[in-house]
Amino acid sequence: MDPPSAAMLVEITARTLVVCLTALAISLAVGLPIGIALGRRHFRGRVAAVSLINTGMGAPPVVVGLIVYLALQRNGPFGALSWLYSLEAMVLAQVVIALPLVVGITLAAVGSLDEDWELQVRTLGVPKRWRLWLLVREIRLGLLAAVITALGGILSEVGAVMAVGGNLDGETRVLTTAILMHTQMGQLEDALALGAILLGLMLMLAGLLTVVQQSGRS
Amino acid sequence: MTRLRFLYLLIAVALAVFACSDRAEEEEGDLLLVTTTSVRDTGLLGALLTVFEEQTGIRAQVIAVGSGAALRMGRDGNADVLLTHAPEGEQKLVASGAAVSRTPIMENYFVIAGPPEDPAGVRNASSPADAIRRIADSNAPFASRGDDSGTHRREVALFKEAGLDPDARWSSFLSSGTGMGQTLEIAGEKRAYVLSDIGTFLAFRERIELESLSKPAPSLRNVYSVLRVNPDWLDPERAESAKQFEAFMLALETQRMIADFGRERFGRPLFQPLHL
Amino acid sequence: MSGATALSVRDLRVELQSRRGSFLLTADALDLNAREALVILGPNGSGKSTLVRALAGLERPASGHVTSAVTGAVTMVFQRPAPLAGSVAHNVHIAFLGKKLSGAERRARVVEALERFKIDHLAEHRAATLSGGELRRLALSRAFALRPAVLLLDEPFAGLDADGQAALSLDLRRAISDTGVAVAMVTHDLRRAMLLSDRIAVLIDGKLAQIGSRDDVLERPTTPDIARVVGMTNLVQGVVGEEPHGDLALVEVDAQHRVATRTAYAAGTRVWVGIRPEHLKLDIGRGDVDPIGEGVVREIINDGVSVSVGIDWAGSELRTHLMAGRGLARTIEVGSKVSLSASPEQVHLIPVRAG
Repeated sequence: MDPPSAAMLVEITARTLVVCLTALAISLAVGLPIGIALGRRHFRGRVAAVSLINTGMGAPPVVVGLIVYLALQRNGPFGALSWLYSLEAMVLAQVVIALPLVVGITLAAVGSLDEDWELQVRTLGVPKRWRLWLLVREIRLGLLAAVITALGGILSEVGAVMAVGGNLDGETRVLTTAILMHTQMGQLEDALALGAILLGLMLMLAGLLTVVQQSGRS
Repeated sequence: MTRLRFLYLLIAVALAVFACSDRAEEEEGDLLLVTTTSVRDTGLLGALLTVFEEQTGIRAQVIAVGSGAALRMGRDGNADVLLTHAPEGEQKLVASGAAVSRTPIMENYFVIAGPPEDPAGVRNASSPADAIRRIADSNAPFASRGDDSGTHRREVALFKEAGLDPDARWSSFLSSGTGMGQTLEIAGEKRAYVLSDIGTFLAFRERIELESLSKPAPSLRNVYSVLRVNPDWLDPERAESAKQFEAFMLALETQRMIADFGRERFGRPLFQPLHL
Repeated sequence: MSGATALSVRDLRVELQSRRGSFLLTADALDLNAREALVILGPNGSGKSTLVRALAGLERPASGHVTSAVTGAVTMVFQRPAPLAGSVAHNVHIAFLGKKLSGAERRARVVEALERFKIDHLAEHRAATLSGGELRRLALSRAFALRPAVLLLDEPFAGLDADGQAALSLDLRRAISDTGVAVAMVTHDLRRAMLLSDRIAVLIDGKLAQIGSRDDVLERPTTPDIARVVGMTNLVQGVVGEEPHGDLALVEVDAQHRVATRTAYAAGTRVWVGIRPEHLKLDIGRGDVDPIGEGVVREIINDGVSVSVGIDWAGSELRTHLMAGRGLARTIEVGSKVSLSASPEQVHLIPVRAG
């Protein structure tokens, strides 16, 4: 086949970013409030909830892909959505993968705050809305680390997005699935070009994470 | 454990791994056979190779990739013998000298499968090319391999015959770049038409609820050939093993096995031998 | 010069789970007045923190109520000063969140609050880099920035060295009189209590056992338990004697040990004799007045600043303090026989209650 075209690289990269960033946004929107709620209160089911989250964090992404696949296939419980082999399915799988991570890290960050912190803020007469803002501000470094880690995880994930997305040209093909396909087809130039882009993205994220961690230290 | 002890342990483990892998190298097959996934997936090759080893003592190591990749491996001398079904590419390989012989062994027919409702009216097509034209004209979903495999090349050939651009796309055209199995799954999920080899299709038919809508025709004919890679590039032993494999595939007994293969599982044979 | 009542507690009952099981905090009447510091004393686990948190509105009472009599804020500073991320100034700004104050006003009040506790030079430093003492000052600045009507403090001096405690006490005292805030403070440090309190409340086993002016509580505790809490650790039982000793009574501990004091208790009443260590004097042979009998020195603990002397007197151990390096402190040794004396005004009696 022909050497990789810039148009193809741009299209696949753009789609990868759209899918991953959408999944990340949803994971954050859902996961942050849950993590904060779980982190602050001590309730009877807390240990069970934390165990569940830890299990979720350890779940292999490809297994998540399998489960989402089974759920979305035409004969499956959610087959009516017709989401299999579409971007929706990929975003869904990535959300399921990233969510436990977001919740878990947020929970830990909130839990590491001083017990008296919340009381102190309350007794300073800070209204409820502002208290939430302060809380997020306190844990913002931990949150940022969570975001970067989760994004790195779903950007480099291949098994689940291949299984539920199908690597359809022009529709569900992303960096990881494209690299896999080109490698299997022996089209190493394409594979390397895409691989370089993915590596570049991951290096940027790693650099960002380092900056965040260092600023936490200074 | 102290740092030093850990280092020793690491070295010991590394050595052990290398030693084992060396042995593994020796235990590698005596013959590197490269074929396509569709051939492997039917199970025929596994059955034949068991008999081959019994008869000759030669153990073949099988690598299954797309036709394009298989031919490339032959061209680069990374295989001893090929079993593929891409006549044009195969002929080029022989012309270039990378393969010293091309021996057709068996054949079957591709099928054009699709949803039982058949919205594009493929059942009434006058030829496979016409079927493709109908699918394109009615903008029906079509799941293409998109991976330069033998099946994909056949798709392209049919497109050409239908008067379509080989890179034709219509809005519901799906190109997965994956193997036959996944492409069939996608076709099943999206209720799309698909070109498939008969073996894989039969294995997936019930699951995906698609039906074969085409009749055997010359343009769907699928010939499987054995190609021996240039013996000058190989160890003499391997070149000899390749010769024996080719002979085995032509042997009467083997051809009879091929004729029967698939009857039990699918009620009909998957291949027709060419030398009975 | 205390002012109007800022916070009132009536018939308060708060249930609390502690390590030793659940108990009930009982406070029938308690008032916090402006420009006044109430120190809450009591043994560990007596409910001091619970009480002060109830005053702050952080504990829901089972019955009774805490009523604020003024419009100002009720705020609290906790045992662990929790600094927030960001600069010291930002930490103080937290106090203004959600309140209608202009940017200029806020900045002015931040400076005022930081100056009050002498950490204005740290305004731009990151709060996380502050030392323990500086953090406590930050917590107090933040609280005062609110211009509260009532300020509650839970162990504000914990972890500070002697100099730090002294300096902070002074700054706090000044802040209280400058701003007129009503303060309730929990501390187990008697010296801080003695320095800072206008009034003292003693909690024992969850009950408000005694509440009164500082001198009242320190010098005239109403039970032996309270006496021990407020530092009147020399407690010996005796009987009010028959014969008056001038216009004083003599309390007989045993034949050789009698203590003179003013009292209205009838002869024959069994009483506890309580003498604060600082009021117990060692006779240096100048023929001091008010002798109470002889004792034998059993223990001398010299920390370089003061000498704590444990004396076996009439079968009980009494304690007193001497200044290190002076007078008797230099000659006294274990086994020395000493004569003890105490001024009758400084001898306190508590009737022994049966049961």
